[in-house]
Amino acid sequence: MTIPMSAAPIAAPPIQTPLIRLSGITKTLKGQDEPRTILDGVNLTVHSGQSIAILGRSGSGKSTLLSLIGLFDRADGGQYLLGERDITKLPERKAAALRSAEFGFVFQRFFLLKHLSAAQNVAMALVNGQGWLPRRKRKTQVMEALDQVGIAHLAKHKPPRLSGGEQQRVAIARALVRQPRVLLADEPTGALDTETGNLVVDVLLKATHRGCGLVLVTHDHDHAAKMGSVLSLHDGRLG
Amino acid sequence: MMAPRNSILSGRLRSAVIIGGQGIRARKLRTFLSMISLFMGVLAVVTVQAGAEIAQRAMLSDVELQQGKDGTRVMYVPDTGASIIEDAMRGRTDAVASLGMNAIIGEPGVRPVNEGGMSFENAGRGPRGGDMWCDERGCYPMEQKGPEKPAGQAIEVRMQALTGDVRSFRPFRPVTGQWLDFGSAPSLAPRIVLNREAAKGFRMYQVPAEMSVQGATAHMTPQIVGVIDDGGYEPTAYIRIDELRSWLPSGTAQAADPYRGGGGLQLMMSPGTDDLEQTLKAKLAGTGLKAEQLQSNVINSRARMLEELAIMRWIFLGMAALVLLIGVAGILNVGLATVGERVEEFALRRAVGTSRMLLAGIVLSETLLTGLLTAGAAIGVGVVGLKVGSQIIGGKYPSLQGIEFPWQAGVAGVIAGLVAGILGGLIPAVRAARIPIATVMRA
Ligand SMILES: Nc1ncnc2c1ncn2[C@@H]1O[C@H](COP(=O)(O)OP(=O)(O)O)[C@@H](O)[C@H]1O
Ligand SMILES: [Mg+2]
Repeated sequence: MTIPMSAAPIAAPPIQTPLIRLSGITKTLKGQDEPRTILDGVNLTVHSGQSIAILGRSGSGKSTLLSLIGLFDRADGGQYLLGERDITKLPERKAAALRSAEFGFVFQRFFLLKHLSAAQNVAMALVNGQGWLPRRKRKTQVMEALDQVGIAHLAKHKPPRLSGGEQQRVAIARALVRQPRVLLADEPTGALDTETGNLVVDVLLKATHRGCGLVLVTHDHDHAAKMGSVLSLHDGRLG
Repeated sequence: MMAPRNSILSGRLRSAVIIGGQGIRARKLRTFLSMISLFMGVLAVVTVQAGAEIAQRAMLSDVELQQGKDGTRVMYVPDTGASIIEDAMRGRTDAVASLGMNAIIGEPGVRPVNEGGMSFENAGRGPRGGDMWCDERGCYPMEQKGPEKPAGQAIEVRMQALTGDVRSFRPFRPVTGQWLDFGSAPSLAPRIVLNREAAKGFRMYQVPAEMSVQGATAHMTPQIVGVIDDGGYEPTAYIRIDELRSWLPSGTAQAADPYRGGGGLQLMMSPGTDDLEQTLKAKLAGTGLKAEQLQSNVINSRARMLEELAIMRWIFLGMAALVLLIGVAGILNVGLATVGERVEEFALRRAVGTSRMLLAGIVLSETLLTGLLTAGAAIGVGVVGLKVGSQIIGGKYPSLQGIEFPWQAGVAGVIAGLVAGILGGLIPAVRAARIPIATVMRA
């Protein structure tokens, strides 16, 4: 089934080429007994500066969808355009370069390396074999990113000494440090209390003010309501 | 934005160094334990290689001096053929004959300090050697002929009387002075060249320059013109046969004492002198010598020794490789456990754009670095061990004094470390590269 372009309300000026256009995306995963079609014709458009919430029951395929958008994995069918570029069947080597340059990721768990400082954890996204920045430039960018999420003063702290909300903000800084065009967040507040969760969502939203697209997977309807548009994944479709 | 100043490769390399360094620093103890498991194996390889090199050098350095270069034809001619050989050798450079006998230098009529011509190390120690006679039932000390001579200031050497320059077959190393000059007119005071052991005797004992040779009619006064290293351990003096002959009637060299030394002449011939050999054999047959008394053989001691040493080396290297394999199993075990622990880190690194290849490369280089560090430690221990060892036992075995650590052992150690690193790191590296990125989404 094909639905022309986006089923979502478009908040950003439509004159621009969208950052991301997914159409008719399908994905089948090996289930316990038989293969299960998780995504069955998903259409999604993300514009610059646009924020989208994706709701859905547990196991409905939200993470699977994010992993396709973020090029962790490739779709079985459909088309994926990044800007004007068709990246539906991108080889892994090029996908790694795009993950580095175009996307920022935030997950439910923070995945900080506990033996590295907050700053070093953020720098991890810069030290990935995709190009090279000298130490000083690296430091400037890391501090900018930490400042953007409001924890520049914690740069030297190691994760065990940080609260959950602070750790998640380090993770967001790590996602922002390369100034990505799209921010993908998979239940980033799932492990945080309400208040801290609100703070984290605000930090993510702030990034969209600079033109970054945001796709937020969440269970929290309050958080979803803060986004420019809200979609829900059901039976492998987005609506 | 990212502005890659350097090449892509250098960006990857620098990233790899940083990531690998962080990995090792976060697991210092584990890296150290890996090194320990590998250490014995690398040390075994280094030790075997060093031992083999040192043994080879010690054994091969003297084998040509003692036995002659490979390819040299050697023929032994009984004393009865001496004059024919000496005549035939005159002026030749492609063949040299040497006549062996014992000589006593020093006070006349005394028992030399190293009776029988043994090395001075053993002189005066243990039972007096030498005079035995043997039959099919066993060996018996010979009865003394007359009263025993009094001990005195004299040394006994093995005398080698040469028809020409033997150094083209046995490349003696000069120590001091000169070698025999075969071009000049023979001197009445025979010139002799000592080997190092004989020179030691002259240093240790005040010996008058008077020499008596078995079978000689009178005592002579030799001039010592030089010292050479002939690789031998018994005191030896080299002399021009024509200078000796003025004191020694031809053909009587061994007549006086058939139990000591002797065995006639040793003839050394260059390869390609078959004609000479045939001519000599024909002439010698004329004096009544039988063909089976004139067997010749070709020296191949060096080649044979090399072959034997190579076999030994491979056997020991094989055993060392087994020890190394145990170390590899250890490093592999640690490597796999580490990858298991770092699944999330690796998935995250791939999520932020680190490529599969780079990740595998980092895991591999971490173990490679461990292997190299271990190799460095093992080589260091080998160098120090050799230094200490050569100081402790060097006094007993002069050839082990001041030996350098052979570079081949260092190379072998580095190779062992690298191979162990690759073997131990490859599987963890492949595993690391296969971790699905989506791991980070399964909380
Ligand atoms: N690697 C996988 N192999 C097979 N099935 C998977 C795999 N990953 C996820 N699934 C299944 O796919 C479905 C969707 O998973 P997911 O996208 O994580 O859902 P959500 O994030 O919405 O909770 C679930 O039923 C899950 O069990
Ligand atoms: Mg999920």
